[in-house]
Amino acid sequence: MTLLQAEHLTCGYGGEPVVKDMSFSVEEGERLCILGPNGCGKTTLLRALAGLLPYGGTVTVCGTDEKRLTRRELSCRVGLMSQLSSVYFAYTVWETVRMGRYARQKRGLPDRDDDADRAAVRESLERTGLWPLRDRLITELSGGQLQRVFLARTFAQDPAVILLDEPTNHLDLKYQAELTESLRDWSVQGGRCVVGVFHDISLALSFADRALLMEDGRALVRGPADGLDRTALDRIYGMDVAGYMRDILKRWE
Amino acid sequence: MALLGLAALGSIVLAVAVGSVYIPPGDILSVLASRLFGAALPEHIRAVVPAMVTDMRLPRVLLAFVTGAALAASGTVMQSVLQNPLASPFGLGVSSGAGLGAAVVIVTGLAAGAGRMFTLPAVSLLFALGTVFFVLWAAGHIDRSLGSVTIVLIGMVASLFFNAIMNMLATLSPLYAQRIDLWLLGSFSMREWSSVWVLLPVTALGLVYFQRYAREMDVMTFGQEQAQALGVDLRRCRTRLICAVAVLTGTAVSFVGVIGFVDLIAPHVVRRFFGASHRKTLPASALFGGAFMVLCDLAARTLTPPREIPIGSITALLGAPFFLYVYFSDRRRGRS
Repeated sequence: MTLLQAEHLTCGYGGEPVVKDMSFSVEEGERLCILGPNGCGKTTLLRALAGLLPYGGTVTVCGTDEKRLTRRELSCRVGLMSQLSSVYFAYTVWETVRMGRYARQKRGLPDRDDDADRAAVRESLERTGLWPLRDRLITELSGGQLQRVFLARTFAQDPAVILLDEPTNHLDLKYQAELTESLRDWSVQGGRCVVGVFHDISLALSFADRALLMEDGRALVRGPADGLDRTALDRIYGMDVAGYMRDILKRWE
Repeated sequence: MALLGLAALGSIVLAVAVGSVYIPPGDILSVLASRLFGAALPEHIRAVVPAMVTDMRLPRVLLAFVTGAALAASGTVMQSVLQNPLASPFGLGVSSGAGLGAAVVIVTGLAAGAGRMFTLPAVSLLFALGTVFFVLWAAGHIDRSLGSVTIVLIGMVASLFFNAIMNMLATLSPLYAQRIDLWLLGSFSMREWSSVWVLLPVTALGLVYFQRYAREMDVMTFGQEQAQALGVDLRRCRTRLICAVAVLTGTAVSFVGVIGFVDLIAPHVVRRFFGASHRKTLPASALFGGAFMVLCDLAARTLTPPREIPIGSITALLGAPFFLYVYFSDRRRGRS
């Protein structure tokens, strides 16, 4: 089943297109990584898919045109996790993850959680190993723990599609591995898919099962992550990517 | 929260009791029972005391409490809506707009005619609302997503611009310059029940309205993009909440003048004790702000009798060191 489909998607800033006429789809259970050099439009594409940026063309989520959905309806279907950012207000871990339920709760007063909300928050905390930290303040957490809190909040949102915008930036290896493992576990449970932008090509290809190469706002190649077109990869990054990776690996031998 | 409520009530009783003449809390209760339920006054209460309680001190103390609550809750909302722990309703141009309105009324003598008691507040409220709506309109025009930086910048520019006009008016009308200055410093002196009856329902409605958006504000503290991704219609929520803040702060300022600092410190102090969740922070900051303002007003009228110290000076004198202590001890503990 196709969960996310972009057709002739074009968007940008101040009238200048950054993403140009992109079409692709993401199927249930798929983990798609978007690769490309800085400035090729990866983050802009994600922002458009998340409905944060006006765009031309069509984006269909779970069979419905995104433009016909309200902000809350869209958030019930699509979750976005960005790179680590500062937090200014000292919420507890539980309170922060609970915010993931916002789009699914009734608005206004009284402000109460029902059993489904509490169960979703608890499950998300357990899935990310944060249950023991649920009463800690997020301002007291390390970057890796904080990023796990945001992942748990995205899980609590219970979307069909999770969009990742370089979520492992500034995280050490252990946290990178934990985060991608949690996402992999989540994605294999029916009716879900992940679309992620990563800077680390090795991490992206080990996490994703499919890859989309972007160059200058356009989709260059799309295919299985394992059999990625090396020539195209080398061209868009302007270097021998595999050779560079092998050189790094040699230092471990 | 119950303790804070009791402390707030205690501050009101203390402020009514203390003054040029000390009135014991028991006597205050007797006077209130007599006025409200027609109970007989005990003989030891002097004839002047009932009027002193109900016509002089109580309206003043209640007005201080309601003003403090309105400003503190508005400050909490602004800090969350703009995702900025140093944001304040006055940064939107409320105070400079209200100040300009008051200066226009004072200089033109509009407040001398019939209904003069409400002319100055009404005009300054209109100017305050006009300024905020202008800020919102200009910010929305420049930045469709109504970003917090745009709002803060336009608010700052509007504040400076209207302050400059007000200063010009004051300079060109030296006769009225002192009155304008005094108004700007804020005061609860000589206020009557009529001010309380206007500000109390506006504040109560404002607080309920804010509480209705508590969850949205929680989400908004994480920034525009995350708030939208979690389902908040940011532009609509921001506009509504800022308009509500403008009405609440504008009404308070138009009656009592510009009283700073409460809106800034109250949210920080209550977050220290009640956490960041707006479900608790909003009512707690209203209670704290109300009590703090009542105690500051008490200090303003009792420290240097018979002269009163401007209330704005007291809130800053007491609030500045207190705020620094709370803010930096919080940072050391990782809370901010």
